[in-house]
Amino acid sequence: MSPSRVLLLLFALMPAMVGVAQDDDMMDFFDEVEEEARPVTAVFKSQRLINVHTCETPGKGEMNFVIAHRFGRISDGAYALWGLDNASMRMAFEYGINDRVMLSVGRSTFEKTYETGVKARLVEQMEGGTPFGITAYSVVMANGLRWADPERENYFSSRLSYAHQLIVTRKFDDDLSVLLVPSFVHRNLVDLPDRAHDVVTLGGGFRYKISNRTTINAEYHYFLPRPIPDEYHNSLSLGVDIETGGHVFQLHITNSRGMFERAFLTETYDRWQDGELYFGFNLNRVFQVGDRR
Amino acid sequence: MNKTILPLFALIFLTLSASAQQWVTRAGEVHFLSETPIEDIEATSKEASVILDLESGRVAVQVPILSFHFEKALMEEHFNENYMESGTYPKAKFSGTLRDFGDLPESGAVEVMVDGIFEVHGVSVDRPFNGTLEKQGDKVILNCRFDVRTEDHQIPIPSVVRDNIAEVIDVDIRAELSAR
Repeated sequence: MSPSRVLLLLFALMPAMVGVAQDDDMMDFFDEVEEEARPVTAVFKSQRLINVHTCETPGKGEMNFVIAHRFGRISDGAYALWGLDNASMRMAFEYGINDRVMLSVGRSTFEKTYETGVKARLVEQMEGGTPFGITAYSVVMANGLRWADPERENYFSSRLSYAHQLIVTRKFDDDLSVLLVPSFVHRNLVDLPDRAHDVVTLGGGFRYKISNRTTINAEYHYFLPRPIPDEYHNSLSLGVDIETGGHVFQLHITNSRGMFERAFLTETYDRWQDGELYFGFNLNRVFQVGDRR
Repeated sequence: MNKTILPLFALIFLTLSASAQQWVTRAGEVHFLSETPIEDIEATSKEASVILDLESGRVAVQVPILSFHFEKALMEEHFNENYMESGTYPKAKFSGTLRDFGDLPESGAVEVMVDGIFEVHGVSVDRPFNGTLEKQGDKVILNCRFDVRTEDHQIPIPSVVRDNIAEVIDVDIRAELSAR
């Protein structure tokens, strides 16, 4: 075959080859896209893992209404229906002023405590980017009990305590999300003179999805500085989240009776090994009250 | 020699012009609506990638599931987490061929039929779609409306929200394609 014939043959075959190449070309179009980096969403099902805050905030314009109960000690036995006779309650409203910042107000029957807090997602875990998220939560709590001794001079500031937390979170895969929470709690007034005004706790927890709508959860807070007074204990809670449409039900068992930061981080008086446990739930109901855009 | 070279050039020219027949966008709009007596749920993505080859008649579309935005943030989370499982199935895809398609007229919309594989939630269905193509200046406008049965793509809807979510979702696509 002369070289010109070979050339001719090659060129004659070219449309067919190009045709094939073109199909690949066509699908190449989708590979060329630079995927826009998106934040990892739904790291946790709710604003709280059990007691501690997660990185989650309500979406812009969303109002999350929380009703939470902790019943009495399970170790109180049949006479108190294993604690169900003594419910302690917390109500809170949490509002998303944008997709990253939340304001909240709450009230607990436990020590008639009012609280107001702000939570902000400082760093978000990104798909194929930043490997973890950092969220800050700060809350002011005010004890609302009558003064133990109304005769002496009492100051409003004595009622106040503060908690500041950094919540470091990572969603490892669709099922497993983990958080680490160093907390700093300051109490203006402590119950006994030798008690520390400033307490640090190191907390950790995780959620694991056992189905699309159900997770199991655990959290633990380690009390510092050591040694701590005998009657104080670390807080350990185990729970389950069940999601149905606009509600998340969180059922749990914990050795902490209070549901705000000062109480469960620094004033946990009960121990798992003594069966001094509280059954409880958080019920979250979401309403869209503001505009999303 | 000259006699051989001329048709060769003609061939090369033809293949080149064929590749200029590809029309694309990365900002196609996909909107869907779930209509029930209790509530209407809708979402829009403006990140659909569409490629249309008028020479071979092939069409392909891909939409990231996370690019659908809803009126409520919680709906968006549930859509991705509970229904579409977008972590596992990040995209909806279509790849197909225009049926009996000739040249696109310089003006006016033409009805077209496409057959192909439609993949949502990791489940592929071989099905036809109806749509229109229209040349407008240097653009080709693609419009398409169709229904998706959630059942066909194994997207379970729990009984508690049965009344809130339609079994058949109306989808419409609009894309302005430019020459690639």
